[in-house]
Amino acid sequence: MKNSKVVWTILLFACCSAIAMAQEKWLVPEANNDMLSILIFDEDTQLEGKLIYTRSCRSCHGDPTKKDFTIMSPSPGDVASDLYQDQTDGSLFYKIQKGRGPMPSFENAFSEEEIWSLVSYIRSFNPEYQQKLPNLEGIEIPNLTLHISYDENIDKLVVKVTSDSLEVMADASVKAYIQGMFGKYPLGSEMTNELGIAYFHIDSKIPGDTEGYLDILVKTYKDYGTAKYAGKIQAGNPTIRKSAIEGRHLWSAAKKAPIWMIIIFNMMGIGIWGVIIYVIFGLRKFKKLS
Amino acid sequence: METKLTQTSTRRKFLEKIGLAGIGAVSAPLIVSGCNSTDSGESNSVIKVLTPDNKLVEIDTAALKPVLESGDKQHLQKLGREGLKGKKFVMVIDLARCQNERACMKSCQSAHQLKPEQHHINVLEMHDEDSGLTYYMPKTCQHCDNPPCVTVCPVDATFKRQDGIVLIDNERCIGCRFCIAACPYSARTFNWTDPKDAEKYKDVSYNMELNVPQKKGTVTKCAFSADQLREGNLPYCVSACPNGVYYFGDANEDLVTNGTTRETVRLSKLLKENAAYKLMPELGTKPNVFYLPPRQSNS
Amino acid sequence: MESLKKKDLALIELELLSHVNWSRKSVIWLGTLVFLFAICIYFYFQQLKHGLGVTGLNDYVSWGIYISNFVFFVAASLIGMLISSIMGLIGVKWILPISRIAEIIALSFAMVAGLIIITDMGRPDRLHHLFIYGRIQSPIVWDITVVITYVVLSFLLLYLPLIPDMILCKDKCSQIPPFQRKMYKILSLGWTNTTGQYQLMKRFMKILMVLIIPVALAIHTVTSWLFALTLRAGWDSAIFGPYFVSGAFVAGSAAVIIAMFFYRNSFKLKDYITHVHFDKMGKLLVMVALVYVYFNINEIIVPAYKLKGGEAEHLKSMLAGSDSIMFWTVQLGGLIIPFALLVIKRMRRPLPLTIISVIILVAAWFKRYLIVVPIQEHPYYPIQNVPEELMHYSPTIAEIAITAGPFILLLIIITVLSKLFPVIPIWEIKENLEHEK
Repeated sequence: MKNSKVVWTILLFACCSAIAMAQEKWLVPEANNDMLSILIFDEDTQLEGKLIYTRSCRSCHGDPTKKDFTIMSPSPGDVASDLYQDQTDGSLFYKIQKGRGPMPSFENAFSEEEIWSLVSYIRSFNPEYQQKLPNLEGIEIPNLTLHISYDENIDKLVVKVTSDSLEVMADASVKAYIQGMFGKYPLGSEMTNELGIAYFHIDSKIPGDTEGYLDILVKTYKDYGTAKYAGKIQAGNPTIRKSAIEGRHLWSAAKKAPIWMIIIFNMMGIGIWGVIIYVIFGLRKFKKLS
Repeated sequence: METKLTQTSTRRKFLEKIGLAGIGAVSAPLIVSGCNSTDSGESNSVIKVLTPDNKLVEIDTAALKPVLESGDKQHLQKLGREGLKGKKFVMVIDLARCQNERACMKSCQSAHQLKPEQHHINVLEMHDEDSGLTYYMPKTCQHCDNPPCVTVCPVDATFKRQDGIVLIDNERCIGCRFCIAACPYSARTFNWTDPKDAEKYKDVSYNMELNVPQKKGTVTKCAFSADQLREGNLPYCVSACPNGVYYFGDANEDLVTNGTTRETVRLSKLLKENAAYKLMPELGTKPNVFYLPPRQSNS
Repeated sequence: MESLKKKDLALIELELLSHVNWSRKSVIWLGTLVFLFAICIYFYFQQLKHGLGVTGLNDYVSWGIYISNFVFFVAASLIGMLISSIMGLIGVKWILPISRIAEIIALSFAMVAGLIIITDMGRPDRLHHLFIYGRIQSPIVWDITVVITYVVLSFLLLYLPLIPDMILCKDKCSQIPPFQRKMYKILSLGWTNTTGQYQLMKRFMKILMVLIIPVALAIHTVTSWLFALTLRAGWDSAIFGPYFVSGAFVAGSAAVIIAMFFYRNSFKLKDYITHVHFDKMGKLLVMVALVYVYFNINEIIVPAYKLKGGEAEHLKSMLAGSDSIMFWTVQLGGLIIPFALLVIKRMRRPLPLTIISVIILVAAWFKRYLIVVPIQEHPYYPIQNVPEELMHYSPTIAEIAITAGPFILLLIIITVLSKLFPVIPIWEIKENLEHEK
């Protein structure tokens, strides 16, 4: 029995290492491999990347340069190591976005911009790194403007993308989210139509604040031009936020004890101790009666 | 109804904000282990601080912005007892994803300064006799809406807050252990002897939301990492998990965020589509931790 | 009482007061007790210094022999109510010579019970929190309130009928130090044996005797509720209150019988505590044991028939598993067999009855252990990820010493009380005799 367990363990281990070796080569499609960042890496992108890294990557990859990544197979590795730094920006981007095996896919969790910030953060540990920029010569970067409204008849968030001069922007990619306390709930990813409008369905049952306002986040991107909107839109179900400790319960704090319990406890206490005190004071009468 | 735009130019400001919040998040549970402030030049003083995972880091005081203006104890106490307004925290544990990695247990024990045998979160190996299924079940405090532990506490040392979290005040606790007896989930543990590194944290002032430093002769338990929630961060265990087991969020928003992938989903939908259940609902404790059933054998 | 009728009242007084002195024997006995108690105190200081970790308690079995000991002490203290109050109120005459013994037992057990609770606290330095922050929703607050009330009531019930006897001590006892004489004087509150004083005292006694019945029931019911009000399978029982109360009368009666036996022999009270008293106490013990057996049957058969979820495991280990040896020894050897033996008249003579009572009392202690500990060893969710030694509970030396401490303290209190005051109410005996004549 014990022997067979050992054999199984060895087999399992062998299998795992075989898989690990097979996985060592993680091929990235050429187009993705050569992809370049839509952002120019700077302190801002590094800071945003760091925040995302701490929250989502650190548990496995550890603190960069410290090689304190979690022991698993295949090894997650330290992102500051050559293993990572020798890859192209596009390769890093692709791997974060798609994931494989134990490395989760972050496609639904992070926008492209956020993944590029992560790449920017990873690159910050490489002093020799020079960001390769696409050839922007002759390309006019549009200045994008977002116009957000909510159509309650069709339960849809209406996002209109224009230029500064209110010129309609068709074919701009738009992503919309509801900003939750710990993360962004994606409402979808759309391209604007010929009128520069993208629609996002919002479930009218989703709880908003007391007046139904939701924290909405919209991002758009077109030809290296970006815009972002963060604000409150009255699109949710008006909800009154109740305190979890309202009322008087047995589990409430001492001050909020149930009334019936206060009455019974005090009545019994006063009743019994009243008699006891009566008797104790009555003891003085013995002297008078002598 | 039309609301107007914000432009790319606000980006920098936005990042500044989250950047500061990021540092704030690090500094909040910090314990200043001795103000070795070495004044080098003008305002560039560096202090050594201890992070929750017991690492000594040097931080430039210029970058350090105190999250709590008055770090005084009374203020901390009051915050700890009151909780976050308008929130109702819930946790969803997807048993199908748990691989018994135990990163949650480790990060929890290091954040709360627990000994190896003390568990605020404990990953149990469970057997379902009917299906022969073996699965791993992380078990934490259920933060019940009808908490039997709070009901029996004689001194208000354990209490429920407006955001639904059940906390402990270890400066109030008399160590009667009635709450341990009353909890059907065995979620509470006791400091039978001097806590881990008692000498090191002797003079550190007590942070109720993190429940550190631990004190001998008092009860300790999962706090849903109330200190992290205040900073807008996910609990230690939730963000430590490499396998996407935990979702955490505010039930009032109906949104929960996965600690590994950061994917945010609708709570009601997640629970309904995965046939979520609570532990021993028949006891009427009304837990705030939900479990998604295990699907396959992990062994 | 027949034997007393021939005796002169002065002789009765003399005989009953003869043990109120500090004889060499009693001083040596007390010295030994104090020495032993000091050892226990040493262990308690160890516990104060190193925390409850010196005990065998762990996160799963967090209540151990301290709590079972507390339950036992509360149980034994209940007898004062039954004997001196209920029996007194319905006018049972034979109980008269042992009513004070019952009160001494009740008061000392109740006082010590209050102290045991403190030894179980992780932070005894925060005892005052109970009074500053007390939450009336917590059974512990009820328990403390009712224990204090019961101690005060028991004290008054012991004290009031002592007043006339203290005057007697002051006047008649020759071998006592002057301060003791002074103490009698102060404590007797100017008593001069007038009819008015007796009438007033009897009125107060009647009030207190009525009052102590609900309080005594409350003290043990609330103690049972410390368990029954939790959601633990095995404790979660609606009959825990009466189950505990009936068990308490068994333990208390046994304790009184043992005390009677020792007082009778060492204080030469054979004419006052007679075979008749032992016989009747034996019968009383049979009666209360019968009630207790009945509650035991209910408490075990009902869940054992259903074997629902959490209770099944606990019951199986109790009836046929790891705890079964202790369980059946206690149930058969400590309850059923003694109870059956006591039906035989010969067994109700002083010596056999006392031996049986000792067995019953020891079994009663282990019975409390069986109620408190094994249930915690079977929580709803498995005990995992803790070292092997923390999975099971076994008391340590320090813990046993701290548990023995209350027993020694109890003996000290009982000895001091019975060296300061006559253990048989002299004025009541005299009054009774005069009445019969």
